[in-house]
Amino acid sequence: MQKPEVDIYQKDVTDLALFVKVSQGNVLKWDINRIVSSLLKEVGIDEALALNIAISVERIIKDSGIEFITGPLIREIVNTELIKRGLEKERKKYTRLGMPIHDVHRLITSHNKENANVPHGPEATNLSLAESIKKQYALLKIFSPEVALAHERGDVHLHDMGFIDRPYCSGNSIEYVKKFGLSLPNALSISKPAKQADVLILHLIKFSAALQGVFAGAIGWDAVNLFLAPYLVGKSDKEIYQIAQMLVFEFAQQAVARGGQSIFSDLNLYWEIPKHFMGVEAIGPGGKFTGNTYEDYLPEAQRFVLALIKVYLDGDGMGRPFFFPKPQIHITERLFQTEGYKDFLYRAAELSSVRGNSYYVFDRGDTAKISECCRLSFKLDESDLEDAKTPWKMRYSAMQNVTLNLPRIAYEAGGSDAKLFELISERLEIAAKAHVAKRGFITSLLNLGHGGPLGLLTMDKDGESYYRLHKATYLMGMLGLNELVQYHTGEEIHESNSALKLGLRVIAHMSRECDRLSERYNMRFVLEQTPAESTAYRMAKLDLIHYPAQTGKIVKGDLARGEVYYTNSTYLNVSTPISPIDRVKKEGMFHPMIHAGSLTHIWLGEAKPDPEGIASFVVKTFRNTTNDQIAFSPEFTSCLDCGRVERGIN
Amino acid sequence: MHIKGIIETSFVDWDGKIVSTIFLPDCNFRCGFCHNHKLVLDPESFDSISPARMFRYWTKNKDFLDGICITGGEPTLHKELPELCRDIKELGLKVKLDTNGTNPEVLRQLIGEKLLDYIAMDIKAPLEEDSYSDLTNVNLNDTFDMIKESIRIIINSGVDYEFRTTVIREKHSKEDIEAIAIALKGVRRYVLQKFQPKEVMDEEYKVYTSYNDEEMEEIAEVVKKYINEVKWRGN
Ligand code: SF4
Repeated sequence: MQKPEVDIYQKDVTDLALFVKVSQGNVLKWDINRIVSSLLKEVGIDEALALNIAISVERIIKDSGIEFITGPLIREIVNTELIKRGLEKERKKYTRLGMPIHDVHRLITSHNKENANVPHGPEATNLSLAESIKKQYALLKIFSPEVALAHERGDVHLHDMGFIDRPYCSGNSIEYVKKFGLSLPNALSISKPAKQADVLILHLIKFSAALQGVFAGAIGWDAVNLFLAPYLVGKSDKEIYQIAQMLVFEFAQQAVARGGQSIFSDLNLYWEIPKHFMGVEAIGPGGKFTGNTYEDYLPEAQRFVLALIKVYLDGDGMGRPFFFPKPQIHITERLFQTEGYKDFLYRAAELSSVRGNSYYVFDRGDTAKISECCRLSFKLDESDLEDAKTPWKMRYSAMQNVTLNLPRIAYEAGGSDAKLFELISERLEIAAKAHVAKRGFITSLLNLGHGGPLGLLTMDKDGESYYRLHKATYLMGMLGLNELVQYHTGEEIHESNSALKLGLRVIAHMSRECDRLSERYNMRFVLEQTPAESTAYRMAKLDLIHYPAQTGKIVKGDLARGEVYYTNSTYLNVSTPISPIDRVKKEGMFHPMIHAGSLTHIWLGEAKPDPEGIASFVVKTFRNTTNDQIAFSPEFTSCLDCGRVERGIN
Repeated sequence: MHIKGIIETSFVDWDGKIVSTIFLPDCNFRCGFCHNHKLVLDPESFDSISPARMFRYWTKNKDFLDGICITGGEPTLHKELPELCRDIKELGLKVKLDTNGTNPEVLRQLIGEKLLDYIAMDIKAPLEEDSYSDLTNVNLNDTFDMIKESIRIIINSGVDYEFRTTVIREKHSKEDIEAIAIALKGVRRYVLQKFQPKEVMDEEYKVYTSYNDEEMEEIAEVVKKYINEVKWRGN
């Protein structure tokens, strides 16, 4: 080791009567060597420079005359010295992550209004604190400065960085739980495959809770009623209703899980046997093949889905609607050839009218999808459909979601088409780099195997690990297409055909660019409608700062009160009354290009329409449009104080 | 004829159907609870909508629309109504007419020409002149017989229909509603609508109230003794 030029044990330094509170909860006597060694270990500068910095730091502290100092404060003083010497890269490496005491106090004592799904409580604040640190970590350590800056400036939005060490969301198969029981790595006890429906549901809930610990977002379950059916043979209507109740209540009441949130869960439901599950051998009690195919259990599957709809209609103990798990009702061509479909659609529509729960997922032609959250769904490709023969293998995931701030691109393009499309490509390129970084990080965590943080995802019961990395998709979201079009053409998408056409050209371009990037990086980049409303506010607010003149003209919301937003994804303006027919048709024109799922919301306002009208609208949307998914939303106001739910907005 | 308003897609104006609803101005009644009183008292305050625009919209969206609901005001006051219905039918769409029943001749003509697929007629009060005048704020004289005539025409028309009453606690006792049901005994369908005090013609009605859900249910039960299909609509 090279000998330091200055003797650090010289008297005036070592005599410093100073105590340091260190992070391990200990109080140590001042020792300048700790600074030197931490600089060597964390930053990698040479020893002489480290010592030089340490001495400067010590002088500052000594001159201040304090007797106690904390580790974090010493670190900040070291950082100041690094900056003085122009060592910016090194300073970043030496950063301490954390939050100001004021913010922590506020977080612990007052309710986070930004995320309605997060209740206020110690668990929730734990989650927020952890998310804050992990987000800072992600920006400094996982993503390149270029990508991090693009996020911080608001060119793009990297979603769920607080969950940087987990993939984004997942579509799962009950068949896995049926076949292999509940045997999670590192669990103290292991359950064999369930023999009874109620036990299977408990397994399912626990497994969902475990999955929530390793995914940032939603946990979707495919063909729930169909896969449960073999356990329901011989059961009375009352028993089936109780099992349906158990499923919904248990999922909805998992508010004791991560951060006090409910599990963001989705139940995919079918009235018919979808084509890809025809002839598939059914797994039944004990995880054994029953010797029958799923067609043989159609009556039980249908009774169960009707019971589920009734549970949703009845609402919770206070008569309130359930928000999770979301029922995703698939409509395939075979529905219309399956007996009783009219009655089924009527009941689903009644649920739409009264509670607004039902989501209708349209699987036209030979397509099939698994929905995972309010709009994300996976279109199954040919190899996925091959998986359907061994349905426990049907596990899919999106690794991450990155959203482009489209209105800003329009501001920067200044009316030039060429520039507009060039900038979109550039931003997608940045998003791709963000995805490469996240893939690299998650892969490194998965490589740590069973003992690593994502051990659960590496469990290997069927010849491959639970998380099928090669199947992962990487989502490219978009925000404010409506405002991009409005700024570029002077008209909103719903206002003219030429505005609509530009919108379609933009999304088509994004879709083509995704294909190009997919080939280049050998990763599956797909477009998705960004669900996060908070991103719509964040980007609008950032643009008001960086592009005030341009943003002021087109931003939605209340400018005077600073409550501004951009229109979600490819939606038409949500605050203008646009006829549901127009909305479902025009929005639906974008959907075929957005492979990871799209949704159109039909607002019902205060009226409770006759279910037949809704059912007819669903069928017409399937037949006459290219819309991917619709949901009808009554506007509910739920009073947290008295627990009553009213239709309409106060 | 001027068309003063359109709801391009409505799920609630014709049960079970997806329709466009159009609003025609003017009325020969002055119901205190009238929801669309501006159409009645001050139709000029609304811009007229060009029929060409409407027909373009309907043609383009025939794949979703089941029909058109014509409401008002009182549509039968407009002599161009039959022509409008004809044009809609020609497009292949069904027609629903909302009426207060004061124009049996127009009804007869429209039914005769097979221009209607559904008729919704208001029954404002028990079928006595005094009660009716009280609710509609006009001196009825001959008109009262017209209303009874319209009821007869509708029942015998072969066209699907409903009679309906907006139920106001301060104006309709439960016995009043039962009296209406007795007078309508045997009709196909009777719908009770909960009164909404938000938008009314007569200020006095702002403080009036509706029956609650349970009471509506009770009233409907009583009415079912006389009429087969009884519904009540809330919000
Ligand atoms: S409620 Fe109907 S009948 Fe009465 S005034 Fe209004 S439009 Fe005319």
